Amino acid sequence: MLPSPGLLFQSVLDGIFLGFLYSLIALGLSLVFGVMGIINFAHGDFIMLGSYLVWILANSLRSDPSLMSIATVPLFFVMGAAIYTAIIRPVLGKEPLIQIAVTVGVGYVLQNLALMMFRAEPRAVQTTYLNFYLNLGLVSVHVAKLISALLSLFIVLGVHYLLTKTWVGLAIRATAYDREVASLMGINVGKVFLLVFSLGIALTGLAASLWMTFGQADPYIGSSFGLLTWVIIALGGLGGVSGLLASSVIVGVIQSLTMTLVSPTVSLAIPYVVFIIVLWFRPQGLFGKG
Amino acid sequence: MTQVNSRNIFSIVLPSLIVVLAGATIPFLVGFNQYYVLLALQSVIMASIALAWNIIGGYAGQLDLASFAYIGLGGILATMLMIEHNITPWLGMFLGAGVSAALAFIIGFPLFRFGIKGVWYALSTAALVVILHEASIMILGPFDYYIPFVEGWYYIRFRTWENLYYFSLAVLAFIISLNLYISRSKLGYYLKAIREDEVAAEAVGINVRKYKLLALVIYASILGFIGYLYIVSQRTFSYNTFSGPQSVYVAIIGIVGGLGSVSGVFSAALILKIVEEYLRGYLGGVLPGLHLLLFGTLLIVVGILRPEGLSSLTDTLTRKIKVKVLRWYT
Repeated sequence: MLPSPGLLFQSVLDGIFLGFLYSLIALGLSLVFGVMGIINFAHGDFIMLGSYLVWILANSLRSDPSLMSIATVPLFFVMGAAIYTAIIRPVLGKEPLIQIAVTVGVGYVLQNLALMMFRAEPRAVQTTYLNFYLNLGLVSVHVAKLISALLSLFIVLGVHYLLTKTWVGLAIRATAYDREVASLMGINVGKVFLLVFSLGIALTGLAASLWMTFGQADPYIGSSFGLLTWVIIALGGLGGVSGLLASSVIVGVIQSLTMTLVSPTVSLAIPYVVFIIVLWFRPQGLFGKG
Repeated sequence: MTQVNSRNIFSIVLPSLIVVLAGATIPFLVGFNQYYVLLALQSVIMASIALAWNIIGGYAGQLDLASFAYIGLGGILATMLMIEHNITPWLGMFLGAGVSAALAFIIGFPLFRFGIKGVWYALSTAALVVILHEASIMILGPFDYYIPFVEGWYYIRFRTWENLYYFSLAVLAFIISLNLYISRSKLGYYLKAIREDEVAAEAVGINVRKYKLLALVIYASILGFIGYLYIVSQRTFSYNTFSGPQSVYVAIIGIVGGLGSVSGVFSAALILKIVEEYLRGYLGGVLPGLHLLLFGTLLIVVGILRPEGLSSLTDTLTRKIKVKVLRWYT
């Protein structure tokens, strides 16, 4: 039984939209890992935290979740700075296992805090302005997904511009390339790290508010987002924004297609199968430089 | 060079003997109260799992997050064989161990062959659990399976928990001795060298790939063996036996206990299990997840302040005891 081309096209389109949102999430993690060498296993849990925050704000203000990013982004930037100072700085340069342990601890705390406060029920916001479909003949476009995909793409390209065209970006790239030489050139490496980590967390705040325009908050979305984001980074390699975007879209489309064609269960496992195979044969990622 | 003289054997076997003797008194101390015996059984099984993890995670330093992939595979195999074909778990547990070891080899060989380590190793093993979890939903269906009631040593399953507890205690004793033996053997020194600096270990001629794979296979086969005991102690199994969070929890015990420290990991497993049960019993209705919140905090504190974990405490203690015992013995 072959599905209709309309269904296939619809599914690919949904996958692309989802992929752009994934790229926004993966960008923060990839920056933190690429520049600081910090292995953050709590990245997905910040999105979980953000989506609850957005849920509370949007419901009490009766407004659209995407507008809540005005609050979540600065708040998460400050929180990122605090977490960096208290928890991440002491484990900089320690072995991966210790870093993973500490960030798994952060994830555990966030996850179970959410479980205690909100229980294990999925929550969705009541008011959204974008929750409708545009019918374009062959496919119908979910406007919330379209807007969040476009915004994600815009921000990812914006961060790319920041990294490649500004002095701050130059300092970040220099630090990523060689920490000691960068510090000899007068770059305040500590400040760069603080900025990068806070930026990474702020991006999860933005991603959370975009996610909530069509998704739900529950205590466990963090673990699935976290693992999936690492998969995207492994596929993309730490080359740059183009590899990141490409691998995010690949993961999104694979997930969406297997969900439509096979079953939702398979769609949860397939990205990881791809991940293990890619890891075996191209450890530098599909788009990484050898 | 392995030197197993009488004193080494003494220090390898004695701790497990102490654990067995002390553990065997527990059912008597609690007056055969089934709740406490079951709690003791679950603690013993958790300690066994954590000490199996100690071989790959503690000695070899590979952050393996797939413990419940092997437990689920070996345990469900042994249980299914018993339910469907009336095959005794005495055979099923060994088959489970073999299948888990084979899976570990299939996964581990390419991973180590392609030099995958650190975060990528951890992620691959986490991915393995997710894959098995989703695959088992398709194979087993989204149901909980209950084990039909059978009794006797043929099934290693009884009306009360004591016998299973004693059996698990013996398994734990074996795992403790195996850990202590490995830590004093050539394999143990190789693994610790690999953990400290893989490049340096390779440079002095250690076959890094071979020994990491060996540690992984030993770890997986122990877990495949214990799987049946775990499932019987939980009374049920399903696709959720392939649990990612539980696998992370095992690694947490190993890290909080102290990498490569038998006494540290053993105490961490017991303490965390008891604290978990206490908090769940008294506050679980009000605050679900409180014990995990505490463990998360503990993990952060241990990671930042005391990367050597509980072992810094327990090692001093055991050294003191050992000195006293040896003085008395010689």
